[in-house]
Amino acid sequence: MSRSDVLVDADWVDAHKNDPGVVLVEVDEDTTAYDTGHIPGAIKIDWKKDLQDPVRRDFVDRAGFEALLSERGISNDDTVILYGGNNNWFAAYAYWYFRLYGHRGVKLLDGGRKKWELDSRELVKEVPDRPRTAYHATEQDSALRAFRDEVVSAIGQLNLVDVRSPDEFAGRLLAPAHLPQEQAQRGGHIPTAKNVPWSKAANDDGTFRSDGELTTLYRDQAGLDFSRDTIAYCRIGERSAHTWFVLHELLDQPNVKNYDGSWTEYGSLVGVPIELGDGQ
Amino acid sequence: MSSDGCGAPAGGVAIPAGVGDQAVVQGHVTRGGSAVRTGYARLLNDGGDFVAEVPLGADGGFRFFAAPGTWTVRVLAPGGVSVDRSVTADIGQVSAVEVSV
Repeated sequence: MSRSDVLVDADWVDAHKNDPGVVLVEVDEDTTAYDTGHIPGAIKIDWKKDLQDPVRRDFVDRAGFEALLSERGISNDDTVILYGGNNNWFAAYAYWYFRLYGHRGVKLLDGGRKKWELDSRELVKEVPDRPRTAYHATEQDSALRAFRDEVVSAIGQLNLVDVRSPDEFAGRLLAPAHLPQEQAQRGGHIPTAKNVPWSKAANDDGTFRSDGELTTLYRDQAGLDFSRDTIAYCRIGERSAHTWFVLHELLDQPNVKNYDGSWTEYGSLVGVPIELGDGQ
Repeated sequence: MSSDGCGAPAGGVAIPAGVGDQAVVQGHVTRGGSAVRTGYARLLNDGGDFVAEVPLGADGGFRFFAAPGTWTVRVLAPGGVSVDRSVTADIGQVSAVEVSV
């Protein structure tokens, strides 16, 4: 898969945003930004309200995903262009989610909302009206999602990539530093995990680094064995969706799973091994 | 803050019930005395590694919850602006960083 199959840039969006069959979607945990201005023609998906189960800790099931996309006016044949804040974390999570449920025509806007804003491109408040569709999702693709037992089994066996910041990896912080620090879980990381912060895969403006730079980062510097399967994790699974996108979609690694339970689950499990301290 | 999200709201999350056991780094970004509303503040550790980022608030504000130590705040704004400021954080303190671009 080449970069152009999974990424578009802002010029492409400007040229194609009104094409039939192209749907722009802003995805964020906090949709205040969308409400104050978004790319012309874009609809919104709220990561929390729309994509998470309101009761259990899980994301919405197949029927829920079908209902969401039908209500937003997205068809199975549409090319969905996802973008968002937080350096596209939640957009990458949604991308992973579209892939889990079998949508093929989905791409990320490289640099997301941040680059669009820093380039002073147009943002509007007008909300488009899209007619309802009848969307059909497939069953979840289990090849893309890791659960806790296979993560424990993967210690010392598979590539485990902890994409949190070095301070979270070492156990000095329990959450990203833009959030108050929590007390509920243990700090540290899964033994044998390599610490490759998601941010190393991106430039300051939020765009992805080149394939050559990314290969050097993961294979040569971090020491990932590209002949082995890989599981990526972070705190709740959206930063690691960003890294899943890099490894699976940009670098074409065949067997990469995102562990969306991530540290808020693993760091609260009874009896599992935890390692403290900085990465190598 | 609950554990069900990781998002960074513009300006940063409010300080919960006093500074308490948090090591807060916060400030504002201005240009010619006016708030810069479109831009981002990034927090880097003493090794220069990225730790966190928030969009600037309507008042140009940003806030981080760090750990004790020396940090760098990097401000990004339209027009290719990238400005770094060093700051020391400690538990129970609010360390202010006012940035003019």
